Amino acid sequence: MKKFLVLVLLLCLAVPAFAAKEQGNKASEFIVYIDKTSPDNHFVPSGWMGDYGDIKMNDQAMDSPHSGSTCIQFDYSGKKTQNNGWAGVYWQNPANNWGSKKGGFDLTGMTKLTFWARGAKGGEILQKVVVGGVGMEPKAAYPDSAKIEMGPVELTDSWKQYTINLAGKDLSSISGGFGWVTTSDLNPNGATFYIDDIKFEADASMKPEGRKQESVPFYVYSDSRSASNHFIPSGWMPNAATGKDLKFEAASKEDPYLGDTCMKIQYQDVSGNRWAGIYWQNPANNWGNVDGGFDLSKAAKLTFWARGAKGGERIEEFKAGGIMGEYSDSDVASIGPVILNKDWTQYTIDLKGKDMSYISGGFCWATNVDVNPDGVTFYLDEIKYE
Amino acid sequence: MLMSTRMVSRSILMKLSTNKCNKSHEVANSPGHRSVKPVAWCLGILAASFFLFLFLGFASVPRPKVYVKKLLPNGHYQLIVDNRLYVIKGVCYNPIPIGQTHDYDWWSDPNKPWLVDGKLMQKMGINTVRLYAAGEDPVKVRAVIRDLYNNFGIRTVMGNWLGYWQYPCPLYGNQAFQEKVKQDVLGMVELYKDEPGILFWVLGNENNYSCLGQIRPWTSEEVLKEPDPLKKNQMRAQIYYSFVNDLAKEIHKIDFNHPVAMGNGELVGLEYAKKHSPDIDIIACVIYRGKTFGNLFNSLKMTFDRPVFLAEFGADAYDAFENREDQNMQAFFLESQWQQIYKNLANNKDGAGNCLGGTMFEWSDEWWKHNDASPETWVIQDSESNWSNPAYYFDIKAKENKNMNEEWFGIVALSQEMQDGISKRVPRKAYYVIREFWKHPNLNTKKKIKYE
Repeated sequence: MKKFLVLVLLLCLAVPAFAAKEQGNKASEFIVYIDKTSPDNHFVPSGWMGDYGDIKMNDQAMDSPHSGSTCIQFDYSGKKTQNNGWAGVYWQNPANNWGSKKGGFDLTGMTKLTFWARGAKGGEILQKVVVGGVGMEPKAAYPDSAKIEMGPVELTDSWKQYTINLAGKDLSSISGGFGWVTTSDLNPNGATFYIDDIKFEADASMKPEGRKQESVPFYVYSDSRSASNHFIPSGWMPNAATGKDLKFEAASKEDPYLGDTCMKIQYQDVSGNRWAGIYWQNPANNWGNVDGGFDLSKAAKLTFWARGAKGGERIEEFKAGGIMGEYSDSDVASIGPVILNKDWTQYTIDLKGKDMSYISGGFCWATNVDVNPDGVTFYLDEIKYE
Repeated sequence: MLMSTRMVSRSILMKLSTNKCNKSHEVANSPGHRSVKPVAWCLGILAASFFLFLFLGFASVPRPKVYVKKLLPNGHYQLIVDNRLYVIKGVCYNPIPIGQTHDYDWWSDPNKPWLVDGKLMQKMGINTVRLYAAGEDPVKVRAVIRDLYNNFGIRTVMGNWLGYWQYPCPLYGNQAFQEKVKQDVLGMVELYKDEPGILFWVLGNENNYSCLGQIRPWTSEEVLKEPDPLKKNQMRAQIYYSFVNDLAKEIHKIDFNHPVAMGNGELVGLEYAKKHSPDIDIIACVIYRGKTFGNLFNSLKMTFDRPVFLAEFGADAYDAFENREDQNMQAFFLESQWQQIYKNLANNKDGAGNCLGGTMFEWSDEWWKHNDASPETWVIQDSESNWSNPAYYFDIKAKENKNMNEEWFGIVALSQEMQDGISKRVPRKAYYVIREFWKHPNLNTKKKIKYE
């Protein structure tokens, strides 16, 4: 009888504990932000990045929220207040945690993040939205266990739900619940947009995404505001001093080949490096240190249009792929040296026989002072994989 | 060369047997003869001829000691040495002692460092050394080749710089320069072609870069007349690759037994080599791409379908960011590289099948390399780097991203402690890791190699 009583007692203690754990595992959603005053919010939009002076936030906007009584309104001016050309906001836990504090949540079991967004006018472009990634590069004391990006995202003037697939990702430690980034090139006149109902969800139907083969044409650069631009001209070579040597305009209106804008590049050797170049990367500043890029296996060539300001400017090399690092590009193809014409001329890099299944460095050019002692000004447009 | 010889022999045999058959037909068709018996007799002769042809074809036609075999139907390549498959498990060898520089005549070292090194290499499983160029004294060069082969079974890939370092630059467009290089190369072949330890010849190293004006730029009167820089490069490539091809043809005339490889930095320029160097047997690539060779094997197949010998690859054992020796880092990269080499050997369905093996860079550290101009630094193992390669990513955050430490590429380190008259060799972790890999090759590249 005594034994029976002990058994009953043990069962009484064990069953609720087991039930509670099971309930925790079965949680079907985890809120990032749902309403200004909601006790269910787990992250704070405290991580302002880049040109933070360009951002204004109203976290209790009542202008037609998607649900509840409030949503978050962002006004991005695109004025490059801190001279970066980009800005963004992370929802963090705890607030202002860039990986130096032990925070965040174990979100194992969640397979997607959904959020609702709309632009004030429609056509506003977020360069990317992101889950995780806090404290990973450079590595902080408590880095997030994963970083998942999606973008670009072109907003409509009515509420639309967006989904980031998290299936198969290590979400065991996430301090950066959600974030967005955009650039002044994508929004030269600024952008006002609204975000609401951001949450992680456990959806068994979500499957891990393999790398899909991108369809062609696949643009590196189409037009400065185009959401189909897939690479960022962030890889300035050979070093930080290159900033003295190059002037780069992503939205030059000086006789673009097609559309509203082209890219204007001016090179003059001021730093003493004697050479310079730019890589178009995905994600920005990816020197093969993060798992990024695209599967461009379907592409047989890369084409682009170029012209020199005077004609006769010499570019040593134009290149596709070739980023080397932990996540090296799968191949490289190049042409050069090329003497530019004054008129727009199309150039082609042949990709037949190349393995373009993993390309983070979508496009690149390089030149030097020896062949351009007086510097060069040249223009690029319509860079695409075909 | 072999194929054509064999084909000639076989075609002669075919012709003979066909003639015999025709003759018997003549007899059979003459008046008064029944037709059945002669036909049977003819078939018998034909069958006998066929077996005779097979016997003679395989038994009497001499084969080179070393040759490249193209397999059918997959088009894969194998290196055959003394009628047996040979996978090159090698190392670049240039045993410059502490305190000496690149022009040191190690061939004349009375302490014979290659005897110590050969023993250690043999224990590791190395079967080949790559020597960049022969020494001045043929007697001493022969002694090294023989010692390595006779004592340790290690064969020698012998190279020639093709005048790459001659002052002021390698003038490949100049007839006199070409002739001088040719005499040097053919002299080398004549001197050592009968050494049983010779595996094959390598012409040049990364000389192709000179055609693009990147290293050791050169020009010619003809090239100077061309205004288009791209066409200039193409002209230089044509001159260079045609010259190397001429050398290969000349070598084949005097040496039936060894293939000719062409050294090439990366795959740069091989689209021109395809057109101008048809007599090259093997491409000897110099590749530094970190843990992977990327699409190298397939890309070569598409560009210039020849077997590839990875003549130089590897990793240094110094973390330029942390400022300390890091043997794990070196072992990690080397194991990953050997995995890819094995994956691309013939008859592996997951690879390109065009790899013959490789010689990793290099056997022992060289303490002079960082600053050749300052003898006082040759007695110090310099930890300063002077070039960057982000594919070796563990220490890429070093100052100015300079992470490649030239003096730390050895599979064995050199100790300042002397043993048998030479610096004591201290095997690094890579020595043991690659030894194990060669014993039990693990090609499961899906299972990531762990960097400890």
